[in-house]
Amino acid sequence: MNELERDIARLIVDTLALDHLRPEDIAADQPLFGQGLGLDSVDALELALALQNRYGLRIAADSRDARAHFETVRSLALYVQASGSPCAG
Amino acid sequence: MIALSVDAWRAWAPGIDDAAGWAAWAAAPHAIVDHGEQPACEFVPPMQRRRLSRLARIVMHAAWPLCGDDEQLPFVFASRHGETTRTFAMLDEIGREAPLSPTQFGLSVHNAIAGQWSILRGQRGESVAIAGEADTFEHAIVEAAALLDEGAPAVVAVVAEEVPATAYDGWIDDVPFSYTLALRLSHAADGQGWHLSLDANEGAAPVRDFPHALRFVRALHDRATLDHPWKTRRWTWQPTA
Repeated sequence: MNELERDIARLIVDTLALDHLRPEDIAADQPLFGQGLGLDSVDALELALALQNRYGLRIAADSRDARAHFETVRSLALYVQASGSPCAG
Repeated sequence: MIALSVDAWRAWAPGIDDAAGWAAWAAAPHAIVDHGEQPACEFVPPMQRRRLSRLARIVMHAAWPLCGDDEQLPFVFASRHGETTRTFAMLDEIGREAPLSPTQFGLSVHNAIAGQWSILRGQRGESVAIAGEADTFEHAIVEAAALLDEGAPAVVAVVAEEVPATAYDGWIDDVPFSYTLALRLSHAADGQGWHLSLDANEGAAPVRDFPHALRFVRALHDRATLDHPWKTRRWTWQPTA
């Protein structure tokens, strides 16, 4: 897990009040929604807001790619990097 | 007049959550210092528990054992002030022109806790969420009695209040400490019987020492008649044999 992935995992745990987990409990390639970590649609909204605040990402609610970006910590990290955010170092 | 039976009840306040604790409080009612304690609710899986506010935890903790896993019972949630903590957090976000948390928003509505009860307990029947004035407790009982009259075998009715943020000081003055009273009510003959009647109130309402639900906790122990006037309404609780 690289630094950005760790940062996103920590953001997920803190934002979504996953008090029973530590960031390192979330594998970079673990599915976040459904049968994976078990997040739901409200979590997706909450997480999108947190990513927006932290990395300046703009995620359109109707974006066709949003589902793919939100699949795992790794896919989120790649998306943050591709968006060229200055804080995504 | 409403006639009903209290088949079981549970209450919670900071530091008091068992029968012996409430018997001691009822014998010498006193204000409790609220340090923000909350029940652990370990019977709720972590992924669901993270969405329970303090008020929701207080409600779940008290009400949970009053409904069997194989039962479907109507649920009445009553609170004069509701989720003030969530509401205040959102007002703060609005004040800072920050986007609202979808979780806070979705769970701040008055029937959110009734909805969480329904989901967590697999309850598919009626649920009611009400807010009244100082006699919110009596209005909850009226709702429960209506559900019993429609044929429900029993009703779980919960009154709960959480001490609000200090910004509400001077505005909300009837929550001396966070508390809940959860009742399992029916028309059974073997429970603790009570009559509740409503008359017009002519005089002024005296300042009460404790909220009506907590006064009723005391009456559950000493079986005294309660007189609860509020504005134009005068509620009388009388124990039956």
